Amino acid sequence: MTASTAYILYLAFAIGAAAVYLMLPRPERSKAIAGALLGVAALAVLITLLVARVTEPGSTRAFFCIFAAVALFAAARVVTHNRPIFSALYFVLVVLAVAALLVLQEAEFLAVALVIVYAGAIVVTYLFVIMLAQQTGSPVYDRQAREPLLAVLIGFLLMAAVAGQAGALPDTVEQGSVLATQTGPDSPASSIAEGNTAAVGRAVMTKYVVVLEIAGVLLLIAMIGAIALSKKKVPSEQVRTARKPLGQVGKEVAPY
Amino acid sequence: MREFFTSQFGVSITFSVMVIGALLGITTYCIYFERKIAGWVQDRYGPNRVGPAGIFQLVADGIKMVFKEDIIPGHVDKVLFLAAPAIIIIVSFIGFAAIPWGGQWELDGHLVNIQVANPDIGLLYILGVASMAIYGLVLGGYSSNNKYSLFGSLRATAQMLSYEIPLGLCILVVVLTLGTLRLEHIALAQTGYWFGIIPQWNVFLHPVPFVILLITSLAESNRTPFDLPEAEQELVCGYHTEYTALKFGMFFLGEYAHMITASALISVLFLGGWHFPWIPWAQPEATSFFAVLVKIGVLGGKVVFFIFLMMWLRWTLPRFRWDQLMRVAWKGLIPITLALFILTAVLVYFGLERSIWTLVGNVVIVAGALLIAGSFGREVTGRTTNLPPIPSGPFSPGVGGVGASA
Repeated sequence: MTASTAYILYLAFAIGAAAVYLMLPRPERSKAIAGALLGVAALAVLITLLVARVTEPGSTRAFFCIFAAVALFAAARVVTHNRPIFSALYFVLVVLAVAALLVLQEAEFLAVALVIVYAGAIVVTYLFVIMLAQQTGSPVYDRQAREPLLAVLIGFLLMAAVAGQAGALPDTVEQGSVLATQTGPDSPASSIAEGNTAAVGRAVMTKYVVVLEIAGVLLLIAMIGAIALSKKKVPSEQVRTARKPLGQVGKEVAPY
Repeated sequence: MREFFTSQFGVSITFSVMVIGALLGITTYCIYFERKIAGWVQDRYGPNRVGPAGIFQLVADGIKMVFKEDIIPGHVDKVLFLAAPAIIIIVSFIGFAAIPWGGQWELDGHLVNIQVANPDIGLLYILGVASMAIYGLVLGGYSSNNKYSLFGSLRATAQMLSYEIPLGLCILVVVLTLGTLRLEHIALAQTGYWFGIIPQWNVFLHPVPFVILLITSLAESNRTPFDLPEAEQELVCGYHTEYTALKFGMFFLGEYAHMITASALISVLFLGGWHFPWIPWAQPEATSFFAVLVKIGVLGGKVVFFIFLMMWLRWTLPRFRWDQLMRVAWKGLIPITLALFILTAVLVYFGLERSIWTLVGNVVIVAGALLIAGSFGREVTGRTTNLPPIPSGPFSPGVGGVGASA
């Protein structure tokens, strides 16, 4: 990656930041269209920059462009839409588009795991909460962003830092070499041959087993915490409901 | 041109078109079967007016559904209201892509899979697609802007999230036993025989996960006794109360398509897919065109069996109460499937995952679960005394009954 490419990348980020800032919800709607146009410009710059770096055949490149554009557009809408339920649905779209990008990288297992975990379970619970929280009308905190400038600035600075770091990687990544570095020293070629799922499983259960255990313990703690929080304390008089062995339940009501 | 149509890609495209067409027909015919089975259970004829034995009833139903007035109420969220049935129908149909319908076909000297796609992660693909189906129900209920619809979709969310856990664990038991996620390999791994007679189907190894998978599939496709999201006595029609005409029909067809996917998945996971003993064409070695047809027929027969079972259950069992539904999932199915999963993992460690010990472990786990459930007292919920007797009189209750006799 040459210096000029990096500057074009940062320029794209700057335009994108301005676009998101203009599109954030505010009482007057006139600036959103200007923001959307700026966003399209930033997207065009980014896509041309990325297409130059993708070395796969034409169809993969086309799919990459489509799904990357969908993901970026949907991600922008997640933060700029003024109705939370649409934000959640755009988040589902982001997840699906990223899953498609992962499939293009031949990481099918990660793609499907992402869809099952995020789109299939987590966002559904978000929707559950949103549906219970509000039925009609949007309150003031949905119609107006509170600190739009600071939020956009910090978000895009962080993204630019990460992207600059990623840009320091070698220009063309060889097919499968990312996978090979992740599966460890023991025969990378064979782990690619045995399939993506098996390779991921081997990596998780050997090299990253400590991380896996820590994640498991964390989830367990969260689960116990959730149960403890949701358990309602009731006075002891009220809990004395009749208890019976399983075979006797319901016997006292004679059938008609 | 011929090379294209005999390649795997060409066969996949041709087959996907055929599958979509056939499934549209079969799902519509499911409505006819449903009504006939309802008639059989309730000791009446069922549809018998349109055509011989009423077989053209679905044509009449379809025409009615298409030409009914399509009302979009003024109070709905229009975008989501139109998106919900589309999501339901798309998600129900793309799940079929990974089902291995007919094994392999020898075409111009090479073997092609009678399957739309044979990805490395076929089973997870079906799970992922099925988990997206919930958006149709949730958005349908939310966008209707109606309290009953919202209740329906809230119930659907909680129910499907709860029953996805035992469903996934049952599938993982099979994956752990056979060590592959490719559905074609799962079917192939069950083609052997024990003692030369008993086919090595997973149902003989793991009868309990088979039954639990059947139960959770009923819950996932919102069929009775798990049809709380559309409980008509409480919620009018649940999440599709505000839908009319063809949009209602999409919800209706989506349910049947979901049933067919679930039946095909259970057949492949536990009943050997297209394999059947004693039929020479339903063996993995047979690759002629006729064998492909026989294999599709065998898998289709298994699917029809499960669909019949589900319809029979629908007209036989009453609906669960909400607390019972949650108790069955969280206190019943999830601990049992977790125990089964751990059992399978231990057996895989010792290399005994396809031996008699699997069956023994299943029996022990069920016996232990019954012992634990029997030793703890159960809370007596619901009605504990009889209702006052129905007053007897010349007329049925309510007409001249209660006040007059008292």
